[in-house]
Amino acid sequence: MAIMTEKTNMPFQVKDCTIITRMAGVETAVNLREMRERIAISPIECLFHHFCETLIRPTFDDPEFRNDLAVWSNRQLRDRVLAERLGIINPYSLDNFEQLRELVLEILDERLSELVYIPWVPRGNDFRFMMAVTVVFDSGITLVTPDDLVDQLPNFSHSSIYYHFIEARRRTPDKADDFSAWLVGFGSGTEHFLNALKGIDFCYLTLPELKQTLIEAFRGAKLETANDHQITRSI
Amino acid sequence: MTTKSLVAYENVVGHVAISQLRQLARDLAGARVVHVNSTKTGGGVAEILRWLVPLMNDLGLEASWEIIEGHNGFFNTTKTLHNGLQGSPVALPQSMINIYEETVAANADRLRPILETADFVFIHDPQPAFLLSLCPNRKGKWIWRCHIDVSHPNRKVWLYMKKLASGFDASIFSMPAFAQRLDHPQFIVAPSIDPLSEKNRELPQQEIDATLDHFAISKKLSILTQISRFDRFKDPVGVIRAFNMLNSSVDAQLVLAGGGATDDPEGAAVFEEVQDAAQGNDRIFVLMLPDDAPRTINALQRASAIVIQKSLQEGFGLTVAEAMWKSKPVIGGNVGGIRLQVHNHHTGFLVDTPEGAALRIREMLRQPVKIEEMGKTAKEFVTHNFLLTRHFREYLTLMLGLRRGLENYLVAV
Repeated sequence: MAIMTEKTNMPFQVKDCTIITRMAGVETAVNLREMRERIAISPIECLFHHFCETLIRPTFDDPEFRNDLAVWSNRQLRDRVLAERLGIINPYSLDNFEQLRELVLEILDERLSELVYIPWVPRGNDFRFMMAVTVVFDSGITLVTPDDLVDQLPNFSHSSIYYHFIEARRRTPDKADDFSAWLVGFGSGTEHFLNALKGIDFCYLTLPELKQTLIEAFRGAKLETANDHQITRSI
Repeated sequence: MTTKSLVAYENVVGHVAISQLRQLARDLAGARVVHVNSTKTGGGVAEILRWLVPLMNDLGLEASWEIIEGHNGFFNTTKTLHNGLQGSPVALPQSMINIYEETVAANADRLRPILETADFVFIHDPQPAFLLSLCPNRKGKWIWRCHIDVSHPNRKVWLYMKKLASGFDASIFSMPAFAQRLDHPQFIVAPSIDPLSEKNRELPQQEIDATLDHFAISKKLSILTQISRFDRFKDPVGVIRAFNMLNSSVDAQLVLAGGGATDDPEGAAVFEEVQDAAQGNDRIFVLMLPDDAPRTINALQRASAIVIQKSLQEGFGLTVAEAMWKSKPVIGGNVGGIRLQVHNHHTGFLVDTPEGAALRIREMLRQPVKIEEMGKTAKEFVTHNFLLTRHFREYLTLMLGLRRGLENYLVAV
């Protein structure tokens, strides 16, 4: 059964993206104090890269920590306390990436005040500050109705999911994902979809896991929407 | 040049990955791309260009591959540059610089028309880098692709190289740890393997068995293999020490296979050391392979339970990716690019000592299920990160980024 919506909406052109990483032009950090100093002056794109683009960058998914600072603190500084404090940060819960910088600096300052020595890493294990350029291109997929979203999502690349569901929160003024922004445009009839999207805690999911979560959430929402229609008709 | 088509890779990486490459390349259709290096045969750069140039053409770019020609004096100089950039304490007198610049200038007379009109010029490694200053009317973007580790260069050599590199629009390094600071954007593109090459493609079991029979390696015992040049930095003697530590506790054989001794006096000495260390143990096979034996290497890797790459110093270490592509967990030295590929308990183990290698070999051989799981993870990891399709995608992304400008982190095409 097709999802009935209040209004029609502009088609959704599904985009895809790739990134290329580059050096951020910041000196490497060999100890915790240097890390603090470098974070204070690094470009915002650098923080974004180390906290958010780890998902899309060619890398091994660290099963313990999602952001590079936490991974470095754990593996190189061997400071699990710091790693855990950095690891729990959800950058998307903050208003902007300057707030992220402030939060990270606060955590680093607190840790520096607790330690009686400055933890160092062996030569070669220093933290290298990176950033990335994201190139956005057409995926060739166009969605016209919410049904299309349910049907086509399995064909999305992981990087499309990243671009529309995660990167959008940085790009758009209200920090919403692109799917929600589009579904709102249909008026009533898409509430279950919007609720399903709102309920996804994506921060600790890999992109394949996120894609599967979205597929299941949309299927569930479609079913709930169909049930609502049936109830309305029987009334 | 061989013809290569992306269609062949669709079965390996899937439709989506190939479709992404096609979409990305649409905006670059017709772009004239020139790659310049110093040889069409031998070496990792030539190996990359043998697939990269045809694949660029397959996607509608107009790519070509040029080489700079020179005599022995020139190549002695570029070898000095190469070694100096990797940190060797070499001397680079003005006479050598003169030979270098004169030879590149002679090449520039021939190459200038194609280089100055190209949309993108990729200069691979130091040998052709002086070309940039000899092409004042260049129209496109010039990128210095540095394949070597310049993290700790000989300072005098680096000062000269930095002068050559600074005029480029961008540079590419294989790992963040290999890079030097320059006044232009420095991109990171990791190397990759070709899953359909003779060294990496699927092999019939009969061919694998025949390879083992040829070297009299038992099919009944687990095989541990290290494939690498006979070079002290690859620590083949350390691998034998590790194996000897557990010889009585595991039913396994050790294969150390590689080339490099025939034309390298130090290689010959290391080969002898390895033979001496292996003497008296009939479960250790020390194999000197001919220079071009990709299928033999492929068969030995595929026959192995575990692949070892216990280097003491390493560049990127693509033999690790080759083994992981064949679903083999790797016990690797905790150095260089091996650390990007081997992740403890997931794709293998990083070790710092022969004792560490022995410990992990014993641990893994007692858990065949774990070997299988790690091998599966390893293959998946390589599929997503170290195949040529990812490498190619990053080149296209970089070209689009440079063409559209890097002021914004998002570039729409």
